[in-house]
Amino acid sequence: MLSIALKMLFGDITKTIGLVFGIAFSVLLMTQQGGFFIGLISRSASIVLDARDVDIWVMDAATESAETTQPLRAVDFYRIGGVPGVASVAPLARSVATIKTAEGRTESAAVFGVDDASLRGMTDKFMVGTRDDLRRPDAIAIDVLGYTKLWPGAPIEVGRSIELNDRRAVIAAITDAQPGFSAPIIVNTRLSQAGIFSPETGTVPTFALVTVAPGADRAAVAEAIGAATGLKAMPSDAFAAMTLNYVIANTGIAFSFGVVIGLGAIVGVAIVGLTFNMFIGDLTRQFAVLKAIGLTNGRIVLMVLAQAMVIAFIGYGIGLWAASGFFDGVNRPTSDLKGFYLPWQIAVAAAVATIVISIIATFVSLRRVLRLDPATVFRG
Amino acid sequence: MQPIVDARGVTKSFGRGETRTTVLHGIDFTVMPGEITFIIGPSGCGKTTLVSVLAGMLKAEEGEVSLFGERIDRMRGGRLTRFRGRSVGFIFQQFNLIPALDAAENAGVPLVVAGERPSVARRKGVALLEKLGLGKQAGKLPSQLSGGQQQRVAIARALIHQPGLLICDEPTASLDAKSGQAVMELLRELAASDNRAVIVVTHDDRIYPFADRIVEMSDGRIVDDRRTARTAP
Repeated sequence: MLSIALKMLFGDITKTIGLVFGIAFSVLLMTQQGGFFIGLISRSASIVLDARDVDIWVMDAATESAETTQPLRAVDFYRIGGVPGVASVAPLARSVATIKTAEGRTESAAVFGVDDASLRGMTDKFMVGTRDDLRRPDAIAIDVLGYTKLWPGAPIEVGRSIELNDRRAVIAAITDAQPGFSAPIIVNTRLSQAGIFSPETGTVPTFALVTVAPGADRAAVAEAIGAATGLKAMPSDAFAAMTLNYVIANTGIAFSFGVVIGLGAIVGVAIVGLTFNMFIGDLTRQFAVLKAIGLTNGRIVLMVLAQAMVIAFIGYGIGLWAASGFFDGVNRPTSDLKGFYLPWQIAVAAAVATIVISIIATFVSLRRVLRLDPATVFRG
Repeated sequence: MQPIVDARGVTKSFGRGETRTTVLHGIDFTVMPGEITFIIGPSGCGKTTLVSVLAGMLKAEEGEVSLFGERIDRMRGGRLTRFRGRSVGFIFQQFNLIPALDAAENAGVPLVVAGERPSVARRKGVALLEKLGLGKQAGKLPSQLSGGQQQRVAIARALIHQPGLLICDEPTASLDAKSGQAVMELLRELAASDNRAVIVVTHDDRIYPFADRIVEMSDGRIVDDRRTARTAP
């Protein structure tokens, strides 16, 4: 009966297109907003995710995210270095500074002072220059998105001078770092240089970046650091997750996006439910004929479910294609939506939601077909 | 010989309370194999309700209904539906073909319902349509066929699974006189063969000559049951 069900479905092409559009629109709304949500909150952990040369992040016990930092003491670094399994420990200082260009444009930037010797704790993706270029006098690295905010349309090149908190800085490298959550521009420099730009906070480390000895278990070493120092020590992935959870719990972002995603699902249910109900309503007489000539209710359920699933499959494919096309289009190094993407988990969640929407629409529409008296075929 | 249809004391009402209306009053009705029985009477006299009960589409409140010796008034749900699908073929006034299926696919629907593969059902549909003179129209959609052609497709659909009972509801009402005559000749030739019983509900007195027996109803009762000249001794 599947072939008959599909011919009945595509026999009314207008309603079928309406149904497919309803599902596609709903999937687009859910996946696009879901991707936005993930992309936005991921920015809060961008420094953690970008610093791939760090195994464990150590911070003050009161620190709750990568964005809300507390200063560490110099003695803490000696204690951390003495914990078994620790191969190296390097400071990272986070401060905020104002950038002023020669053209008079000003922007706020997050300045990360990395260890002068190891330069550990920053992205390893460079558009122009290398990490070692930071060893030059007054050198900074700026992220490419920040660069294009300061000099829209200008060629991406090093050598420009700017004022950072009224101190001269030279752009020695341009990184492909992910944008931050609270500051639009990411600047990396040596710790000693950061103290020149921000004398009060630039050299005060807020994180101790640990690499573990070969073969050592990161989680076990982190636990040992915590026990030995009283500080909070977390493997990178756990710290990133904690930061995301902090943002979700302490802002209205999750609720706001949740409302939009929920509306997407509700719109999907409403459009698809109503259209499918009309579609099945128009097929009532045909189903009555099929019942009269021996089709059981169970097989009618399967037919309608097959129709709904075909619509769901096509609509989901179109919606997902549109959403992934959107993210492909906006996820460019110089785009404000840089780093926004469509995680596979969102795609799977949307697929589950689509199936649920289709099943709800099916059973809402089926009620009258199942109650249908086949004798109605005798009425003119 | 065992009757194909054997109904005893069938009573059927619709509505509740003050609006309750009894449509069939203790009907006794039998149809023998090979017999073409016309049920006639004014609109609202209970003809369609009676055939609906006989086909197991409606449940009678009282009485017994047997088809081929099986008590269908005791069957429920899927069992009754499957039994009806195997045993009864239907021809409707409005043809009731599925618009999205071509003529051969429409003819083969009962076979697909019975579990046959669509390609096999369609092939058998084409073969039967060729017998009915519609071979060239097998690939056409119902909207591309005339009323008489659509009714012949409906006849093919009703006969393709070789049911023992054929129920026809006003089969000529939507057709002109010539097409109506042609359809009835076809029904007589094809349907009444193999000892199949045919029940025709009709207002169309032009086709009475095709009946073996005419049962007249009025106000939910059988008021006349007579053999025609075709079969009268």
